[in-house]
Amino acid sequence: MTVNWAQILFNSVITGSIYLLGAVGLSVTYGLSGFPNFAHAEFITLGAFIGYFVAEQLGLGLPAALIVAFLVTGIVGFLCYRGVFQPLAKRGASIIHLMVASIALGFILRYSIGAAWSWHPLYFTTTWSAFDVGPLRVTGLWLWLIFVAVGLAFIMHLILTRTKIGKAIRATSSNPELALASGINIDRVIWITWFVGGGLAAIAGIFRGADTQIWPMTGWDIILPMFAVAILGGIGNFYGAIAAAFVIGLAENVGVVALIAVGLSTEYRMAIPFLILIITLIVKPQWLAMLFRRA
Amino acid sequence: MKVDEGEIVAIVGPNGSGKSTLLKSILGFARLFQGKVFYYGKDITGIASDRAVSMGAGYVPQMNNIFPNLTISENLDMGAYHRKGRASVKAGMREIFEMFPELEVRKNALAENLSGGERQMLAIARAMMAQPKVLLLDEPLASLSPKPVSVILSKLEKIRETGTAIIIVEQSVKKALSVSSRGYVLVEGACAMEGEANSLFAEESSKQRYLGLEAKGY
Repeated sequence: MTVNWAQILFNSVITGSIYLLGAVGLSVTYGLSGFPNFAHAEFITLGAFIGYFVAEQLGLGLPAALIVAFLVTGIVGFLCYRGVFQPLAKRGASIIHLMVASIALGFILRYSIGAAWSWHPLYFTTTWSAFDVGPLRVTGLWLWLIFVAVGLAFIMHLILTRTKIGKAIRATSSNPELALASGINIDRVIWITWFVGGGLAAIAGIFRGADTQIWPMTGWDIILPMFAVAILGGIGNFYGAIAAAFVIGLAENVGVVALIAVGLSTEYRMAIPFLILIITLIVKPQWLAMLFRRA
Repeated sequence: MKVDEGEIVAIVGPNGSGKSTLLKSILGFARLFQGKVFYYGKDITGIASDRAVSMGAGYVPQMNNIFPNLTISENLDMGAYHRKGRASVKAGMREIFEMFPELEVRKNALAENLSGGERQMLAIARAMMAQPKVLLLDEPLASLSPKPVSVILSKLEKIRETGTAIIIVEQSVKKALSVSSRGYVLVEGACAMEGEANSLFAEESSKQRYLGLEAKGY
């Protein structure tokens, strides 16, 4: 079997870019709100459907789809926290209560999306140009994905390190009680994080949908590796999540080669992130998070 | 219990007497079951913590009193969260660095890499960035070696000279009283004794009774 390692590496960057967009919001909201939000899967799905609506049904193109989906899903993310999770947390709900509530909310959103659009797969009809660069097969969509993921990660980095609200997000994430004692309105910080997290999930959803298909399970299909990314990078750690997204992306794509080499189905690829996660947690928990302390 | 402008007041007492809880309840971090908190004559009982800060109360907790993943400058930025305008924050930072030159030389270092004494200085400096009228310190000398203790105490004197009132909760009774004008002894959540700092424990029996101490160096 001849393996095109350059292509494997490039595919890993593509997979990592999707995980980056989806997992950063998941990780940061987990860190600030203190529970894993399973409804994040439906933020991804909702973003994909809104993107499809704007780009395909309204015919406004991908850039408009990205912006509208980011804003609408960001608002939905904020409303979910403000309307459901924050009241529960204020009434003393435990992490288990909040997690189960997020699963329930996810079901409601998923079936609402199915009812509003369709349970049948939908496809972006845009034809993306494909071309060869040396040994690499590249499409315009993949270049867009990498450009948007890297661009948004850079913008997030600037926000987190240069702006007052960004520093407040990092401060609240590391020490909420001291943030309160510094006069930071931590509720507002958390609201903004849910808005941005929802928006980034929507972008992940659009690219996932444009690359494969869109249906109400689009987000659920990729949420579990994103949890692996969030945990591997350190809960609430922005830079750790970025590094972990590409580590998991690489592991998944190299793992597919290994699966084929030993004659196993590539369906097992979803298990690879968790294998990496389990090994890391046993050998050296949060090693990526330790490398990126300025989260 | 009261504190005036430009005054340092010590709250001492045995472990578990409620000293830290008292500070937290003043700032809205802990529920107040009885009593009232007045600030410049205004009843602020049960105030939200962030509002207390914006009104002029600075708080330095005993543990976890810095943001370890932020640099020294960023920690100070967070202390100035309520200050309006970049120029005001910069001016505040200049003043703080004059008072704490040790921090300026390492302003871009991550706070988690600081020594115990430097951390405590940063914690106090962060609270000072909010221009508090009253500073509440929870055991600022705990776990520090003698040299940083004397540095911190001299910084507190400088802060007092600016007109800021300081309430200091401390286990090291002698050290706390050495910079205070008055002191309160808290026992099982109630004020058991109060008085001028230099005469608070004039009688050996009061040390034994309220602090369980016999040694001269209490």
